[in-house]
Amino acid sequence: MSPFHAELDLASIARDILRQARELGADEATAGVSHSAYSELSRRDGRIEEAKESRSLSASVELLVNDRFSSHSTSDLRPEALRSFLERAVAATRYLEPDPNRRHPDRASQGEADIDLDLVDRTFVDGDPEPRRLRAETVESTVRERMNDQNVRSVTAYAWEGRSRRAVALTNGFETDGERTSFGMATSVSLEEADGRLPEAWSSCSTMHRADLWSIDRLANDVRARALSRLGSRPTTSGRYPMLLDHRVVARILGTVVGPLSGAAIYEHRSCMADRLDTAVASSAFSMWDEPLIPRGAGSRRTDGDGRPATRRAVIEDGVLKTFFIDVYNGRRLERDPTTGSASNLVVPKGEKSVDQLAAGLPKAILVDGFLGGNANPTTGDFSFGIRGALLEHGERVAAVSEMNVSGNIVDLMMRFVEAADDTWLLGAWRCPTLLFDDVQFSGT
Amino acid sequence: MSLARPEGAPGAHFAELGISSSVLQRVLNAALSRGGHDCDLFFQHTQSTSVALTDQKVNQINTHVDLGMGVRVVVGDQVGYAYSEDLRPEALLAAARAAAEIARSTPGRVAAAPVPRSLVDRNPVKTSWVDVGIDDRVRMVRAWEQAAFARDGRVKRVDAYLQDAASVVMVVRPDGRLFQDYRPMTLGMVRCTAMSGDVRDSSGHNVAARAGLEFYSDARQAHLVEEAVERTIFLLDAGKPPAGDMPVVLAAGPSAILLHEAIGHGMEADFNRKRTSIYADKLGERIASEQVTIVDDGTIPNSRGSVNVDDEGNEGQRTVLVENGVLKSYIHDEISAKHYDVDPTGSGRRQSFRHPPLPRMRATLMLDGPHAPEEVIASVEKGLYCVSFQNGQVNIGAGDFSFYMRHGYLIEDGKLTRPVKDVNIIGNGPEALARIDMVGNDMKLDDGGWTCGKAGQSVAVSQGMPTVRVASLTVGGVG
Repeated sequence: MSPFHAELDLASIARDILRQARELGADEATAGVSHSAYSELSRRDGRIEEAKESRSLSASVELLVNDRFSSHSTSDLRPEALRSFLERAVAATRYLEPDPNRRHPDRASQGEADIDLDLVDRTFVDGDPEPRRLRAETVESTVRERMNDQNVRSVTAYAWEGRSRRAVALTNGFETDGERTSFGMATSVSLEEADGRLPEAWSSCSTMHRADLWSIDRLANDVRARALSRLGSRPTTSGRYPMLLDHRVVARILGTVVGPLSGAAIYEHRSCMADRLDTAVASSAFSMWDEPLIPRGAGSRRTDGDGRPATRRAVIEDGVLKTFFIDVYNGRRLERDPTTGSASNLVVPKGEKSVDQLAAGLPKAILVDGFLGGNANPTTGDFSFGIRGALLEHGERVAAVSEMNVSGNIVDLMMRFVEAADDTWLLGAWRCPTLLFDDVQFSGT
Repeated sequence: MSLARPEGAPGAHFAELGISSSVLQRVLNAALSRGGHDCDLFFQHTQSTSVALTDQKVNQINTHVDLGMGVRVVVGDQVGYAYSEDLRPEALLAAARAAAEIARSTPGRVAAAPVPRSLVDRNPVKTSWVDVGIDDRVRMVRAWEQAAFARDGRVKRVDAYLQDAASVVMVVRPDGRLFQDYRPMTLGMVRCTAMSGDVRDSSGHNVAARAGLEFYSDARQAHLVEEAVERTIFLLDAGKPPAGDMPVVLAAGPSAILLHEAIGHGMEADFNRKRTSIYADKLGERIASEQVTIVDDGTIPNSRGSVNVDDEGNEGQRTVLVENGVLKSYIHDEISAKHYDVDPTGSGRRQSFRHPPLPRMRATLMLDGPHAPEEVIASVEKGLYCVSFQNGQVNIGAGDFSFYMRHGYLIEDGKLTRPVKDVNIIGNGPEALARIDMVGNDMKLDDGGWTCGKAGQSVAVSQGMPTVRVASLTVGGVG
């Protein structure tokens, strides 16, 4: 496989695209060039199942021609193909109606936060399959050994490594670039139940630095606990219960809060949050921050999508909505100051009690640790999701549950937030602890 | 920007990009150089264009070009996979050698010279998107917007979107097979936001096909707008159904998402070969009532799920999965077909050259049963009638599935009464299949832009079914 080009000058490719776009008649342009390498190995039931290798180089370009806007992407970077791609792109743009709000952000507003986010592991060695082979093999054998008292149908183990770089250049002179590495391992286990059901559980760990990966023991213990918790799952009685929302899956619920905060949703009248800035949208016990500058954070960045320096900001503070996610374009449409166009790392401060301590105080509760389908309506805030998890009584798991729905309105649910546990999940852009909500509608039998 | 149907013999499109027969043979042999039992090369060239109307202005256009080759090497059921976006011979050879690493023995076979094969074309195009100017597309989405505003004064906002894409793909195998396929696609969408008093809601509709401009007949465009508006207005007065177990009647057409999620995925043979599907070991067994016959069909002309040739080089076909309630076949790719010692079903599909093929659904249909749809509704004393769905998901092993209903009605004393919206419905696939106790005689293939996700890959699918009664499913309502 051709190597990862650590030295390939992506910025100069981007600048060349800008030069050509201008020659062809674009007044403004933004060019992004990405290069990545990715390798993944999976093993199932004692043998390698799949080995994947990829190297990718592609470009994207946004054009403003007589105040008309278009966006384009291509993986065909042969010089003659790129030229004709840009010619057609500029020509097509002329047919549109003007949208001057698409003009570049003010150059003076652009820049990068002055911080090393430590997103690149220098120990990454392109093309060396041995660490992946060994990791996948050890994951599989450890999980098998850990599950040997169970009726296991299948064990799959995965190990992957990747590296990516991206450079962005604008005709107003702003340039930025970024690089990150990724290392990961995962496993899934399929168990056999007496009634023929084959519940499956997985566990996964992905980090930017090899040294931050979990131990394989931890991964194996985690998947065992999750697999056993799926056995015998059934729906339980419909009704209103306290809900403990596992720290791994908070995004499904909190994403329903964050989606309607986008500038586009507000402008397009598809947001149940549009009129709620500086009002209570959650119980006063709830706060959430957008924190882009966390070293080694999955969602960390020095600059946002508009090239403006990334900064920490409160999204919800003591239950009060403090921020919409408004990019420059939607800011102009809404005639409001832009904040930032999208969330980076979303952080909910942890509480003081463990999950067990929180659960022990509840006569009856449902722990939700997985979602299955469902959706939310951003215009009304209504949601309805399929769930699985456990029925708890005074902290004891009395039954595994599945084939149930949780439904409600997101603001109503957030008002029922009680307390966060102390177990912040650090793998991923949602850095949240397990959350407790009171009096939530579940439907089952 | 779109790709025209290539002229000349199969393979000519990529020959123009420098991929000669001798290059193909060298790459195949590099793929087999470590002792792989078999391999395939998948070349893809795609161009797509979308035009979007928002804020009462047609003010955005997006184009995309994708070009590359994926190479898969197979040793038994083990797979090595690599891809390259660079089509120069040295890059293709490097990718082939990387994929070859899955095997660790001496080469056992030499690739035959590729021989172009012809295909039945199920996706004829009358007016190619190459011949449709950007100005024509701008006029189309503008007309949809105007029609939507004109249809109902409560519509306050309209977004409209028209996309076309065309791919030329070439599959090459060491046994000499070389297929080149032209795959057109288009999707039209209208989304509305409506308001009445303090109540505001949004919905929309989309239509899709492997076709050219002729797909958008006057009647289809009128229907697209009508559905988008009516589905949105419907929501303004809709409430929530009660929560819990109840009989559910699925309307003909888009309800087939139940079929797709609850049943179709479990019949994909990779899950069965690995024995992680709840349908593993059930071939030949009764899994549904006699009224239920399910097919997965790649041969429906111009349908989104239509397959002239699959992405492994096997021609599209119609596969009977369940016949009168008995499980007859899984959906196979070549690896699973070999495992079960049956012929492949032409269902080896992939999202793009960046992914290896997997057994995937095409157009999944439940065929007509004996009942009139009115009879099915009238049979329910208290339950839910589902008109349209947004999305669904399944756990293959445990069999539990869910799908999200956007529009529906309560059924009370055999009649449709209150409109209801936005509830998730959940159940267990085999149980739900066994609980289908009435099948209507009004099978309808839905023309929506359905996309199926599996193992990180999205592929276009179609689905259809008649009105069906499921004796009981769990509805995520209130109370």
